[in-house]
Amino acid sequence: MATTEWTRRRWLDWFVKAAAFLVTALIGLPTMAFVVLPAFRRPRPQWLKVGRLDEFRPNEPTAITLTFQRRDGWVIRTVRRTVYVVVKPDGSVKVLSNTCTHANCAVRWEHQKRAFFCPCHDGYFDLNGKVISGPPPRPLDELPHRLQGGFLFVRV
Amino acid sequence: MLNWLERETGLVSAWQRFWAQPLPATVGWGHIFGALTLLCLAILFVTGGAMMFYYSPTPDQAYPSVQYMERFLPFGKFLRALHYWAARLIVPLIIIHLVRAFLWGAYKKPRQMIWVTGVLLLLCVIGFGLTGYALPWDQKAYWGTAVRLKIAEGIPFIGHAIANFLKGGEQIGAVTLMRFYVLHVFVLPILTFLLVAWHIRQVHHLGVAPAWVRVGDEDAVPKTQRLHPDHTFRIAIGAIIFTALLLWLAARYPAPLEPRANPLDTAYKPHPDFYVLWLHELLKLFPPDWEFVGSFVLPTVLVILLLAVPFLDRSPERHPLQRLPAITTGLTLLFAIVVLNIKGMEALPKPENLSPLERRGRELFVELRCYSCHGINGGGGPVGPDLGLGGKRDPKKVEAILRNPGAFNAHTVMPAYHLPPDDMKALVAYIVSLGPQSRMPPIPPVEPEKPPSHFEDNWLITHKFEVRKDPQSCQSCHKPFFCQACHGQRRPSSHLRPDWLKFHFGNAADELRTCDTCHTPDYCADCHRLTRHDTAWLRQHGATLTKFGETKRFGATTLHQLCYQCHTRQSCDECHQGALPENHKVPDFLQRHGELAKSGDKTMATANRQANAQTCATCHTQAFCTNCHMGAKPKSHEQPNFVAQGIRGAGRGKSGHALEALRRGVQSCATCHEQKFCANCHGMPMPHPQGFVRTHIQEARRNLALCQRCHDWGEQSCRQCHAKRPPSHTADFRETHPQRLADGGTSCQVCHGRNACADCHRLPMPHPDNFLHTHGELAKGQQGNERQRVQNLHRQLCAHCHTIAYCRKCHLLGNP
Repeated sequence: MATTEWTRRRWLDWFVKAAAFLVTALIGLPTMAFVVLPAFRRPRPQWLKVGRLDEFRPNEPTAITLTFQRRDGWVIRTVRRTVYVVVKPDGSVKVLSNTCTHANCAVRWEHQKRAFFCPCHDGYFDLNGKVISGPPPRPLDELPHRLQGGFLFVRV
Repeated sequence: MLNWLERETGLVSAWQRFWAQPLPATVGWGHIFGALTLLCLAILFVTGGAMMFYYSPTPDQAYPSVQYMERFLPFGKFLRALHYWAARLIVPLIIIHLVRAFLWGAYKKPRQMIWVTGVLLLLCVIGFGLTGYALPWDQKAYWGTAVRLKIAEGIPFIGHAIANFLKGGEQIGAVTLMRFYVLHVFVLPILTFLLVAWHIRQVHHLGVAPAWVRVGDEDAVPKTQRLHPDHTFRIAIGAIIFTALLLWLAARYPAPLEPRANPLDTAYKPHPDFYVLWLHELLKLFPPDWEFVGSFVLPTVLVILLLAVPFLDRSPERHPLQRLPAITTGLTLLFAIVVLNIKGMEALPKPENLSPLERRGRELFVELRCYSCHGINGGGGPVGPDLGLGGKRDPKKVEAILRNPGAFNAHTVMPAYHLPPDDMKALVAYIVSLGPQSRMPPIPPVEPEKPPSHFEDNWLITHKFEVRKDPQSCQSCHKPFFCQACHGQRRPSSHLRPDWLKFHFGNAADELRTCDTCHTPDYCADCHRLTRHDTAWLRQHGATLTKFGETKRFGATTLHQLCYQCHTRQSCDECHQGALPENHKVPDFLQRHGELAKSGDKTMATANRQANAQTCATCHTQAFCTNCHMGAKPKSHEQPNFVAQGIRGAGRGKSGHALEALRRGVQSCATCHEQKFCANCHGMPMPHPQGFVRTHIQEARRNLALCQRCHDWGEQSCRQCHAKRPPSHTADFRETHPQRLADGGTSCQVCHGRNACADCHRLPMPHPDNFLHTHGELAKGQQGNERQRVQNLHRQLCAHCHTIAYCRKCHLLGNP
């Protein structure tokens, strides 16, 4: 319509379209939010107690299996996850994930070789999680931890 | 782009043609309800589709997924409420649309099929309602579905098949839920979509029927308006109002979600939705055997009638006044349905009219988790009484019970509530307001953030060990009375032993905090306050107990029964052995106590004789007498020597009750008395058990006085048997028998058996050959130093026959 004159017909047309838009928005936006937004929600970090710090021997990685709940939609799942606690002689602590960075296999501490060994493709990591040999592209993942009252807590 | 689309499909011009459709001048506000119904369907479709992203149609997960939707997702509660309210509003919308079409005569030739598809759409919507009802899998869903399937089963011949098809088997469960889900989100939407498409296409093709015009004269009405924007403007206004109403309802009144479906809950009463109330009322009009008429025949007839409307009313007239029979029939039916529905609404539970104070009380009821034990007309825990029952309550008593439940029922498991005055007032007001019309308040779900241990497979079995290890750790999340949800009486197995009350003190002393897991620290005082056994209490406990005995609470029990809750029957004797009144020590006290109680104790001071009726009451309550004197006695008990010793001359010297027992059998005594009753006086089961003749010598040796209560030692009783003894057994035989044993005791064994000597001597008699060498060994079993040991030995064994001088024959110095 070239004319800018507000005829009855044009006004009605505008009103009907506006109403349609309004109703669609009022119903549609909450619906969209309902479907889309939860996908971008981050899981709440959980701090788990690993144990007393003085229970870990220095320079000797200790495998700790943590059991915790994770909310999976309307299901609460019990998840088990193994971490390696490495205490250095100077008292600094590292908590390493036991998941190999190459193909997500579980690594284990080889006592004789003094290295973490991944059985899937012969990857080796040293005490700090650095790659010694094999295909892994980066060091073992480190989990954030904190010390509180002599206890070691780790975030999962 | 549009040009290309138009060239290829012709959609654009079709779209434009649709909206530009000319409408008769008489189309007005009454014609917007079809469009609003369509809008409502669209909203249901969108919100329902969105919920499908999260809903899981299994009995295990349906309810948690709906809960998750409501509590964790943005607009979750709102969208569900929107779906709920749209589903409720679409029914009146369709009915208004239908009535409008009926009054306007819009179904007349050639538009019959528009009407028919419309009626089919109404059926689809009802189908949506029935299937959607079950999906949240809460109590209402489960029981409502159960009732409906039951009604479906009542249809003759095919009912069972229909119900089983819907259930997917014989029971309501996983298959049922899946079937309802598929019907709700797949079958019915497709049907609805097809019907709607056909319905609209027909309307578009045949045009809207102009009002009040005879069939065939339709062209006489000028088509002065177009669908857009003239009629769409009306629809837009209606749509805005409708959407506003819907949003307001959804925001203000969330969709109800009752507790999770519990097939075991028999107290639950499902209430039908308001638009099917008339059907339920209809059912009530028929006797049970004819129920299918109301549940199936009449609705089916109604549907067929509705479908057949255009074919029954074929007159060309459209004006209502020109077709009165059709209009009257239709309106009468509508009126009947409305009346039935209103009648049905009366049966619905009324919304509770609570004052602000009571509303606060209801919040507290939920907050304090009273519902975990008490239900309100169903629901709630099974431990406490249902608060909906029991009539009007007294606020003062309710408050007293809340503050100290133990005062009303010593065995209650209800914890005491010490609330601030305002809260207490509110809670009491709420509890008092409860009646048969009240309903359980909605109970918020408890966030299941449990520690990992709770998810272990054997947690239910092992949790008691965790509780014992550290009760505090449980209490950081759970209220003390949480346990009773499962434990019923909240009693651990130890508490179930019959003697628990007696021994609980030891356990409490060992590990008091174990008790604290369930009991508050003042729990002990509930009982022990009565009997705090300090010195002052001990000094006057007789009087205290007497006082208790006169109170209402303990009136039915004797004082001693109160004591026996903790103490054994012997405990009193520990002190009172010596402190019994002198007159109680007379051997025949039991026989004479009646006279004493009546006439007064002759040994008492004259001044006290007046108060003699109270003498017994010093220690005993009135109820103490009824321990033995229970109610009216039979005539036989009134003969003069019924209890007293028998007259020696008569018979075998038996007293009246013994003769009576012999004559009529002990069974007649057992009518009122227990077996133990005899032992009260006789100290042993009476009459003497079988074989007593053989063992009576032991009894006699143990307690001769017991025998002497009834029998005369050495007189007739013994003589009757013992008269046959050999002449050697003279009166001094007991002292002189060692000297008379010529044959080493072999002849004694003829009558007395092998162990006759050992019964008294506790040694093989006569002494074996090497006894002289070994008799020193006997002293080793004794206590004390050597001298005491020998003395003990002598006193216990040897002194029967030998004097100490006899030892000195060998042990010259008195030492070994």
